[in-house]
Amino acid sequence: MTTNLIDIQNTDVIMITSNMAENHPVGFQWVMKAKERGAKVIHVDPRFTRTSAAADIHVPLRSGTNIAFFGALMSYAMQKNLFFKDYVVHYTNASFLIDPAFKTPTDLAGLFTGYDEARRVYDRSSWKYQLDGEGNPKRDPSLRDPQSVFQLLKRHYSRYTPEMVERVCGIPKAKFEEVAQLFCSTSGPEKTGTVTYALNLTQHTNGVENIRALCMLQLLLGNIGRPGGGIVALRGHANVQGATDLELLYHELPGYLAMPLRDAHPDLKTYLDKETPKGGFWVNKPKFMVSLLKAFYDDAAHAGNEFGYQWLPKRASADAYSHQHIFVDMYNGIIKGFLADGQNPAVGGPNAKLARAAMQRLDWLVVVDIFLTETAEVWKAPGTNPKDVKTEVFYIPAAPAAEKDGSLTNTMRLIQWHEKAVNPPGDVQTDAQFICTLAHQLQKMYASSKKERDKGFLAANFTYGAKPDHPEMVEVLKEINGVATADISDKDGKVVYKKGQPIASFAHLTDDGKTTSGCWIYTGVTVEGPDGKLVNRAAGRKPAEANDYLAHGWGFSWPANRRILYNRASANLAGKPWSEKKKLIWWDPAAPGQKPEDKPGKWVGLDVPDFNAFLAPDAKNGDKPFIMRADLVGGFFGPLNDGPFPEHYEPVESPTKNLLSRQQINPVAKIWQVPDQKNQLAPVGSPDYPYVITTYRLTEHHLSGVMSRYLPMLAELHYAHFAEISHELAKELGIENGEKVTVMSPRGKVHLTAMVTHRIKPFVIDGKTVHQIGVPWHWGWKGVPELPGSMGDITNDLSATVGDPNVYIQETKAFVCTVKKGVV
Amino acid sequence: MLKAPGWEMSIIWYFFLGGIAGGAYFTAAIADNFGSRRDSAVARIGYLLSLPLVALCGLLLVVDLGVPSRFLNMMRVLKLTDPMSIGAWAVGVFGAFTFVSSVLSFTTSESLASLRRKIGLVGMLFGFFLASYTGVLLSNSALPFWADSRLMGALFLASGGSTGMAAVALLVFLTGGTAGEGWHKIERADRYSMIIELVILAAFLALLGSAARPITSGHFAALFWGGMVVLGLVVPLVLNVLGHRVRALGVVSAVLVLVGGFVLRYVVVMSQHG
Amino acid sequence: MARTLAMFTDTSLCIGCRACQVACKQWNELGLEQPEWTGGYQNHAHFTDKTFRLVRFVEEPKPNGDLAWLLMSDVCKHCAQAGCLEACPTGAIYRTEYGTVNINQDVCNGCRYCVSSCPFGVVAFNEQTGTATKCTFCNDRIHNGLSPACAKACPTESIQFGFRDELVAKAEKRVETLKAMGFKEAQLYGADSGGFLGGLNAFFLLLSKPSVYNLPADPKLPQRNVVVDSLLSIGSALVVGLGALLAFRERGKGDN
Repeated sequence: MTTNLIDIQNTDVIMITSNMAENHPVGFQWVMKAKERGAKVIHVDPRFTRTSAAADIHVPLRSGTNIAFFGALMSYAMQKNLFFKDYVVHYTNASFLIDPAFKTPTDLAGLFTGYDEARRVYDRSSWKYQLDGEGNPKRDPSLRDPQSVFQLLKRHYSRYTPEMVERVCGIPKAKFEEVAQLFCSTSGPEKTGTVTYALNLTQHTNGVENIRALCMLQLLLGNIGRPGGGIVALRGHANVQGATDLELLYHELPGYLAMPLRDAHPDLKTYLDKETPKGGFWVNKPKFMVSLLKAFYDDAAHAGNEFGYQWLPKRASADAYSHQHIFVDMYNGIIKGFLADGQNPAVGGPNAKLARAAMQRLDWLVVVDIFLTETAEVWKAPGTNPKDVKTEVFYIPAAPAAEKDGSLTNTMRLIQWHEKAVNPPGDVQTDAQFICTLAHQLQKMYASSKKERDKGFLAANFTYGAKPDHPEMVEVLKEINGVATADISDKDGKVVYKKGQPIASFAHLTDDGKTTSGCWIYTGVTVEGPDGKLVNRAAGRKPAEANDYLAHGWGFSWPANRRILYNRASANLAGKPWSEKKKLIWWDPAAPGQKPEDKPGKWVGLDVPDFNAFLAPDAKNGDKPFIMRADLVGGFFGPLNDGPFPEHYEPVESPTKNLLSRQQINPVAKIWQVPDQKNQLAPVGSPDYPYVITTYRLTEHHLSGVMSRYLPMLAELHYAHFAEISHELAKELGIENGEKVTVMSPRGKVHLTAMVTHRIKPFVIDGKTVHQIGVPWHWGWKGVPELPGSMGDITNDLSATVGDPNVYIQETKAFVCTVKKGVV
Repeated sequence: MLKAPGWEMSIIWYFFLGGIAGGAYFTAAIADNFGSRRDSAVARIGYLLSLPLVALCGLLLVVDLGVPSRFLNMMRVLKLTDPMSIGAWAVGVFGAFTFVSSVLSFTTSESLASLRRKIGLVGMLFGFFLASYTGVLLSNSALPFWADSRLMGALFLASGGSTGMAAVALLVFLTGGTAGEGWHKIERADRYSMIIELVILAAFLALLGSAARPITSGHFAALFWGGMVVLGLVVPLVLNVLGHRVRALGVVSAVLVLVGGFVLRYVVVMSQHG
Repeated sequence: MARTLAMFTDTSLCIGCRACQVACKQWNELGLEQPEWTGGYQNHAHFTDKTFRLVRFVEEPKPNGDLAWLLMSDVCKHCAQAGCLEACPTGAIYRTEYGTVNINQDVCNGCRYCVSSCPFGVVAFNEQTGTATKCTFCNDRIHNGLSPACAKACPTESIQFGFRDELVAKAEKRVETLKAMGFKEAQLYGADSGGFLGGLNAFFLLLSKPSVYNLPADPKLPQRNVVVDSLLSIGSALVVGLGALLAFRERGKGDN
């Protein structure tokens, strides 16, 4: 999230689009505090959940229509002049002019300029700014030029009227206008509004555009970087934020650097040239990349061998290696071995039947987990004859969080150190032990290899502390932070870092091999104290105070302990807060400069400036808060694969045709072809699968249920696996509350207990009734034997292998199904 | 919302047998003190009946406990506003009275007989207590119907009277004593007791109104109206009057009164079971 | 006598997460229990011998078509005048110096009178131990300077723990705040020590009438009728005794 959970209490209106109370209950206390201070809470969700119970207004919207809703909010704000004009003109690219060839889906029947229908990709050459003589974007500060981003945006969303929202989303017009008025009233200097999202927006074939739409709305209202504003992106648990920061992902390297492509990035120089923008803080990318390579390969990486760049694995294609790609390749026999470390794809991933079938074709499967999961016993899946499965399966028992040291990074980018409470029992290892032991074994086995490609792995260091197979996690954190590999002097010759000292800031990283950094955004988490001892700032536990409500002494928030990103935007062009009520940082012209001889002036306030602290507001770029973007301003016109503006398309499976354009689904959505009919999709408006289904999580269970269904006191909280069905649909089908029902999709079927409730209501879409049901996905065939309700069918057997074109995330939030009374 | 205590057959039998024990004893004491010499046979039967019944009652109470080995913990306190606390003590004290009175019922000594009569008057109070306190125990719990019935204790006492007297009458019959005057007197006493019980029952139901539905309608209605009111009181009352001429009818009447007394406690307790 | 401790459960802050329910089970080592189907998320209809904190879910459709979903973490009320305590014949149920009510598991012999004497249906009988059980107000924790497990676990501070008088003052202010925010039916339940049962040491802020939450509107001490009922029994004894006397006495001759 761009902001901080604690800061939510400062908002005037919070629009929760996720199910925050149920899935982020501890963070939700700050919503309660906001309410106590008079904030209004809007909850946008197809179901009435425990979040809705705490909200002032519940807005039911059909799953898969988020962009229609957000676009309409933007349109409303622009039409009614409810946007923060000064902020928009000066801090965003709204005033920039776009290439005259560029047109929006309003003019092109649902597509942007440059669509290649055969290859299903966009040629984005017209998606660019008009430049002046000096190469800077042309601008119209009055926002009236028809090719200005603002006017294009307005034109683009002109189709997104309240009437359209009623037809597409199923939100009654009056309710939409009530919510729009309330939320858009947070524009302007005196008020701020914040928004939350989680997988409700991400798990769609237009997932990334969903999020973009929300970000654009917040830019329009002038909420980003201000107290009570920002985007509350609610990351999952199990250290998901840490996992993406350290890039346990297929397409990036630690610190959000691109994973090199074999053909596009044959060498380090090409990689850095292509990947480094001309403006913004990412101009420093070479320093981050080189420091990362040094962290990987230590002394074996040097200027003479491109710092070991050639040892890095390279992607053969950008359209490969994601979770869904892996299982399709596995099913097709391309992938023969699989290590599942703390993951349960037999239950937890989309199209779980395909995933299980794929794993049953592996030569070997290694499962590292706390319990014997469904994946660990994949040959015992219902419907499988164990004799047909030739996979050799290894199970390595793993330690849960309470038995491990290490850091966890939560949704507000806060790195907190965590000490183990007990040692793991017997032979059980921590993940770090497992990885280091495995790496050391492999290094032994490959020790005599003469192959160039093995040299990197052999050079890599997997020892942290005195005992090779028992890594000390503080040493790991120190490596992530980064150290000096040699003495480093400043331009006056003064030694600022001695060899081996931890680097205090990513601003000090170099591209000459003198620094390492395992993840540049974390640099600063471990520093050297005045006594020369290592200070682990993640372990800081100084609570919040009146003049430090963000608690800078508690843990370490990347980057550089900044708690609210883009906080320069909380002040106006002159460096004063837009409003005293909403002050965060401001320019103090009297504060001492960086060095005694420098001009005075510094950014001060309630947070670490997400900005050059000594750059005056009237200096060059002193008025540009969005430092990570090449043009330093917030981007309405953005860079994604499926369009610079989010456009509503229906989910790949939908009960209705797209009412906003002739383009039914995301024109560049990824749809996999899988043999043996293992990825059948329902046609639009299929009478066999007439209901919308959304899948979701409950407070009481965790993901695929491994951490909850084996524990009696958690497993008993829900009687059994259920589907939430409206009274109206139940009446139509003759279903009683508590009866068994069968839910079917083109991929599979599950048997569930029907929970008939008023909290789900049918939608009226373009005048026709469309039913929606909700099904949580925590259940699998294993559990507590004495609690039959702890075991159940696998909801993900229903979902399909389709993905967002930018990151290939699955569409488990909106697809179609049918429901039958009884066990069919 | 509220919880039933899960008292089942052992407690229903306790209520029933405790009522008989108390009723038999106080009838015996009254007969002993206010009847003629010939009534001492009836009194002896009454005293002797109450002794094993009280012992059995004690056993039933212990067996019903969740931790029977801790039954003596009842002796840790005596709460004068708690029917169960007093009751726990009273059962024991009453047991002592039934023992002494039973032993003394065989005496031929006039002075011991006189002592027995005096003891009987005191023990009689405990007899009244045992027969009625369980009703007060129910009416001072939180469960509706029980909690609404101010006359539960009064009703149980009247029923203890009628069942105690019926039991004594039955024993008089079984010991071949129906030829004596005692038979007529015990029959008469039972008759008066039944009439009083019917009046109290009417008042009990009237005061409760719709709160009596757990026994007057639904699942237990047939048993209550048919088993307790008709077969357990009205018919035996008629038979008792007719039994003046035909002894056998008087015996049948006694049996039916006992059945009715059991049914009363059964429906009262079981109607709150779930 | 130490200062009275209390728990104030403010249902306006409850998100129904059940952390309280689980923390209680974990701390008290209550063990495996079968859930019940209640038609919704609530996993037991009422308190059991292994569920001392129970989160209630009440769907309240409103006349204007809106829906309210009332979430409440229910618990033993630790009444100032406790029906269970009055009923207990062994003295196993006692009041601590903090005003909380506890059942001594070493003394209770399982007569179950307390089970039927709670106006809220809190006390339950544990078949395995043969004793009556209920919330202990985390007796061991409060005697060691800690808060009850449920209060500790609650993420939104819906369950607050502290001195009763301070909590009541806080609660009274809170009700006014909620009413001003538009929650017309916000009300305290059991805060008034001059009110029913002498006040509850675990009291609540409700967003609707008590009956909506299945709470009794005006709970009374079950033992309040002991004297009347006893007198009526004595009256019955007099009449029945008189009847027996009339049946047995020798007319005009006395007891010769």
